[in-house]
Amino acid sequence: MAAVGVYRPWYSAGIKEWIFTTDHKKIALFYGVTTLLFFLIAGLMALGIRLELWQPGLQFVSPETYNYLLTGHGVVMLLWWAIGVWSAFANFLIPLMIGARDVAFPRLNALSWWTFFAASVLVLLTLIPSNHIKMMWTGYPPYSLNDDAGITALYVFIIHLTGAASIMGAVNFIVTTLRMRAPGISLKNMNLLLHGIMAANVIQLLGVPSFAGAVTMLFLDKYLGTNFFNPNLGGDPLIYENVFWFYSHPAVYVMILPAFGVFSEVIATFARKPIFGRISMVFAMWAIALLGFMVWVHHLFTSGIPDWVRIVFSYTTVLIGVPTGIKIFNWVATLYKGSIRYTTPMLFTLGGIFMFLIGGLTGIPLALPSFDINAQDSQFVVAHFHYVLGMATTLGAFSGIYYWFPKLTGKMYNEKLGKLSFWIIMVGSNLFYFFQFIIGLEGMPRRYADYPPIPEFIELQHIQTIGAFILAFGIFLSLINWVISALKGKEAGANPWGSNSLEWQIPSPPPPHNFDRIPELPEGWDPYDYDHHRPQYT
Amino acid sequence: MDALPLAYPANLWDRIYDIWLFIAVVIYLVVAIPMLYFMIKYRYKPGKNENGAHIEGNNALEVTWTVIPLLIVIYLATQSFVFYRQQRNAPKDAMEIKVTGFMWGWEVDYPTGKKVFAFFSPDYKIPEEQKIVIPVGKPIKVLLTSKDVIHSFYVRPAKVMEDAVPGRITHLWFQINKPGEYWAFCREYCGTQHSHMVAIIKAVPQDEFDKWVKAGVSPSTSKIELASNVKEVQ
Repeated sequence: MAAVGVYRPWYSAGIKEWIFTTDHKKIALFYGVTTLLFFLIAGLMALGIRLELWQPGLQFVSPETYNYLLTGHGVVMLLWWAIGVWSAFANFLIPLMIGARDVAFPRLNALSWWTFFAASVLVLLTLIPSNHIKMMWTGYPPYSLNDDAGITALYVFIIHLTGAASIMGAVNFIVTTLRMRAPGISLKNMNLLLHGIMAANVIQLLGVPSFAGAVTMLFLDKYLGTNFFNPNLGGDPLIYENVFWFYSHPAVYVMILPAFGVFSEVIATFARKPIFGRISMVFAMWAIALLGFMVWVHHLFTSGIPDWVRIVFSYTTVLIGVPTGIKIFNWVATLYKGSIRYTTPMLFTLGGIFMFLIGGLTGIPLALPSFDINAQDSQFVVAHFHYVLGMATTLGAFSGIYYWFPKLTGKMYNEKLGKLSFWIIMVGSNLFYFFQFIIGLEGMPRRYADYPPIPEFIELQHIQTIGAFILAFGIFLSLINWVISALKGKEAGANPWGSNSLEWQIPSPPPPHNFDRIPELPEGWDPYDYDHHRPQYT
Repeated sequence: MDALPLAYPANLWDRIYDIWLFIAVVIYLVVAIPMLYFMIKYRYKPGKNENGAHIEGNNALEVTWTVIPLLIVIYLATQSFVFYRQQRNAPKDAMEIKVTGFMWGWEVDYPTGKKVFAFFSPDYKIPEEQKIVIPVGKPIKVLLTSKDVIHSFYVRPAKVMEDAVPGRITHLWFQINKPGEYWAFCREYCGTQHSHMVAIIKAVPQDEFDKWVKAGVSPSTSKIELASNVKEVQ
């Protein structure tokens, strides 16, 4: 039966093998291609939003359509792109980096992907105008129970399906990393990316049930007459906000921790140095995952909860700045006395760290209630999370795609086009998001389809829209690069970067069973060791 | 120009903003300058630095960049706490008004029983009778609630906002020191006309306000008067 066997590598497998596959590399490709397609869709939605905001007044879309575009952009960018893309990385890289032949539960893995596929179909169904959901990705009641918001059930089932896929993936990735490491790979010397992925998936495992619970209550309220959130009958809409953010704040670390992992892999490889303060990097990642569960109330700083609660959570929230600071300092210190190769993945990683620095510094005031009282629900918040989630995560994912592109396809990407894409993305995104900070400080609210004709608003919206189109063009160049290079790229060889990490020691693309023999790593093996190993860079 | 800021408690927000911006720029330079310097100095030069130096870490350095940021963020949270008390607690002599959000607009109740309906406006032109009139130079405490979904009342010049939640009464306060017209926005997403759910706050001198707030209301029929009658009966 094809259901469990792996006969051919992904590039020569037939359609039947694809459908019944349990091979982690094929499932990784499924995830990767789907998330990129949805990234494209959500990006086009964003361009629609930017076009509408060019001028005050409603020129291109009705407010209903605008609100749908915004909801779709949020849901798809967060759940498909920023979370989903890491399922592709986790599937492809965990077994290769720990010397395993597949993940711990291959069939559960396939089920996870097909559940994700079902959710993808549901999301595409919302493109039909009568199916538009307009409750934003947050789905706050009582609005989400109102008919103005669209079909609540569609929103609830999309969340349930992606949530179920995430939990299955999380169990799989955690067990694989903990139980299937080849002899000689410990939690201490394993790749930092694996710590990032594992920490992210622990968050998923503990957090997703909370989000699923929140939307389940929404469903019961709307269709079965319960009153969890109905104030007229003793419910409270703030319950939803609390339960929702208990997952959805930690979820931002699900999106960024794997990107931190990619930054570490790429920096070590192209500075040809071990990561500075490696153990503190591991602790910082797990500290972020743990602290992430203690800060959700900063999303409710103006929601009407008691003032003393806001103060308590402002202290817990600012603490997150410490481990993230440690990570940035360690990356910078890793560059010291390095031998830095400016390849495309390295540029994307350095750009990602730069964007994360700005995103992090503008996140600190949002943890301060006395600042947040003017910034909550303004464009300032939107700009902040587009620096950290929008750009740092995307640059991390792009860096990772470029970096492992030769491993996945056996071909080399086009270096010139990659670098061009990088610089255009950096110019466009900074033009876009930096001016979004300023318009936010001027008082421009988020989620506005239209805005009063205040002169400085109009000027700032123009700059942002121009930036958005430059950014989109840069991203388009990278997508083109991957498609053309996968078809026509030069042969890359097994280890083009001269890395000491395990995934580079097998042929590209990896053979169906990855390793002919499970590798046994010598005492003192280290994926970032360039002192003893001294591989040659080509 | 007089020395008074345009509005309270915007002056406090401006101060926390200045403090944060200063710290953020310093941290930015402390990170970005060495980063750029290393990126240029330690770039790969064939034959000269084939591999990087084998440096695994430095405990003193790592402790430094753990402890100093920790002290900075604790200072920031404490400074914010000090300002926040004043931003949240209205002065004792504040005038109370009640603002109730609905889809889509605001219903404003004054202590005299005067009522203003500020409906949403697709072209942002607000008729005179829908403007929320307040006395200049006097603190206003706003009691907020909602009839349907969650809204949020944002007073742009005062740089404060708070959600209007059905089933709860929330509050904020502000004071405008210069006569004129100012924007107030709904800042919690509330549906199709969310972006049109704006209001104009019109600050006028006290005597003009007194005349306005008494015009066209008979105190005995106002809701607030009725409510206080009920209290007396009990």
